[in-house]
Amino acid sequence: MGSMRIHHLSLANFRNYTRLELDFSTPLTLLQGDNAQGKTNLLEAIYVLATSRTPHAVAEREMVNWLALEESFPYARLVADVERAGRRQRLEIVVAPQNGEGGNGPTFRKQVKINGVARRALDLVGLLPVVLFLPEDIELVSGAPAVRRRYLNVALCQIDAAYCRALAEYNRVLTRRSALLRHLRERGGNQDQMRFWDERLVMYGSTLLARRQEAISALEGEAQTRQRALTQGREHLRLRYLPGIDLAPDRPEEEVLPMLEAARIEALFGEELRAGREKELAAGTCLYGPHRDDLRFLIGGRDLRLYGSRGQQRTVALAMKLAEMAVMTQALGEPPLLLLDDMMSELDARRRAALLSTLNGVPQAICTATDWSDFDEGFRARARCLRVVEGRIEEAERSA
Amino acid sequence: MSTQVLPGPVIKLIEAFSGLPGIGPKTASRLAFYLLRAPQEQALNLAEALQDLKARTVLCARCFNIAETSPCAICQDETRDASILCVVEEPLDVVAIERTREFRGHYHVLHGAISPVEGIGPEDLKIDALLERVRREPVREVLLATNANLEGESTASYVAHLLKASGIRVTRLARGLPVGGDVEYADEITLSRALEGRREI
Ligand SMILES: [Zn+2]
Repeated sequence: MGSMRIHHLSLANFRNYTRLELDFSTPLTLLQGDNAQGKTNLLEAIYVLATSRTPHAVAEREMVNWLALEESFPYARLVADVERAGRRQRLEIVVAPQNGEGGNGPTFRKQVKINGVARRALDLVGLLPVVLFLPEDIELVSGAPAVRRRYLNVALCQIDAAYCRALAEYNRVLTRRSALLRHLRERGGNQDQMRFWDERLVMYGSTLLARRQEAISALEGEAQTRQRALTQGREHLRLRYLPGIDLAPDRPEEEVLPMLEAARIEALFGEELRAGREKELAAGTCLYGPHRDDLRFLIGGRDLRLYGSRGQQRTVALAMKLAEMAVMTQALGEPPLLLLDDMMSELDARRRAALLSTLNGVPQAICTATDWSDFDEGFRARARCLRVVEGRIEEAERSA
Repeated sequence: MSTQVLPGPVIKLIEAFSGLPGIGPKTASRLAFYLLRAPQEQALNLAEALQDLKARTVLCARCFNIAETSPCAICQDETRDASILCVVEEPLDVVAIERTREFRGHYHVLHGAISPVEGIGPEDLKIDALLERVRREPVREVLLATNANLEGESTASYVAHLLKASGIRVTRLARGLPVGGDVEYADEITLSRALEGRREI
């Protein structure tokens, strides 16, 4: 009763959906369809409503159906009726040209409404907590540092409104501080201007660093358990946080970071900015701070990004996603909405079983598959089975 | 509708309107055609207003507000308190604060805020003139009433730092303003409270 869920999704001109009205009447929903029919787009729509951003950070314009782009007022509209703690809310995002006029190549903007009232994008985050599993999750281990920062941000923003606000402010300060450094490098000027931006960068940045440090420690514990289960106890996973400022300037690099108080982090951050002033002025951009954070995955002391096999990287990515799920569940007091995009085909039997047992423990999950056989009959019998064909959704016969 | 078939004067006006902030080509055409059909008098009034805007206004040499005379009426008003100076970004901010009738000191208009993203540095604003004024005039308090967004805050912080050396009392408009709010758009009650609750920085 009263657990978190999405009741209804309504789309207009979102990617390949011109119009969609879909009820989620059951805890489990299984969507089957060939490639490029709209399975991923549907999960993405829910993800956008939950986090206010797309999973791959694409331009706003790309959310709008390409046919609608030809119209005089092109727009996309996403609406979800959601429920959390017994409270029903309507989340809405409209993507439309910024100045309200068509013209050639207008910039598109997201407008957010909650229960019909215009709000900021960050007010949306956390109203429908989700975890999205994608085949590309392996990039969490093999990809660039930005992928790992996004992983941390998406999880933390949904469970911690203060983190979400600090992140939004940090990014605003970061843009302006970098612009000032560039301005000072190119045209010179009074360096006293840096004082304000240093203070703000340290203030918001330290909040992010402290919270990430804490979260990584919690994630490590959860991921270790998952990794052990997925490898029959053979692999012991370690996470190492590589913060974008030196949090242990007086310790050798190999040592484990001490957990620091926010006040201590602020002091270290401030010192680093003062010491690095000339370097930043020469670079004309911000060199220190959580926007340079990274995370390393180690098994037996080996860095898996560089030395892990594809299979090993995939297993660790799955363990990290399951850990994200667990940490969010603890923070929220109930599991988030689980979105699984075409995950099963990539996984071996043991990894499938781990994912299925997680699936069975959540109040609501929406999964996609190319083949019905990706999910066993027992699962299909409990799920509502739908077919996705060219941006339309129809009920599928159970025997399919 | 192709603009090529339109008479030159219409095109010229559409283009002039399009250059204004917040006005796209469609709105510009609508305004131009409205004026084309409007009575002669209305169009002439607009033309005259536009001409006077430049011909009959000056920047006050003392406070840099836009006025009909220099020094402006506020600067000439001897009943006002010359020991307190309210620093604002734009002339419209003066209008907003005057509306509250809470403030009886003098003003200093910076004509913008420091904005690294837009390439606006302190040297592009009336900041040196402010320092010069504080040195020459019997100012005891400077009230920084720049906007409550990042640009306004950073400008206030920078100016406060420069004024610290002079030993003058520097205060900031209290955070009665909505966060990210402009002075210009704050309602009178909010602004009155912000003026009363100013704090030292
Ligand atoms: Zn004046």
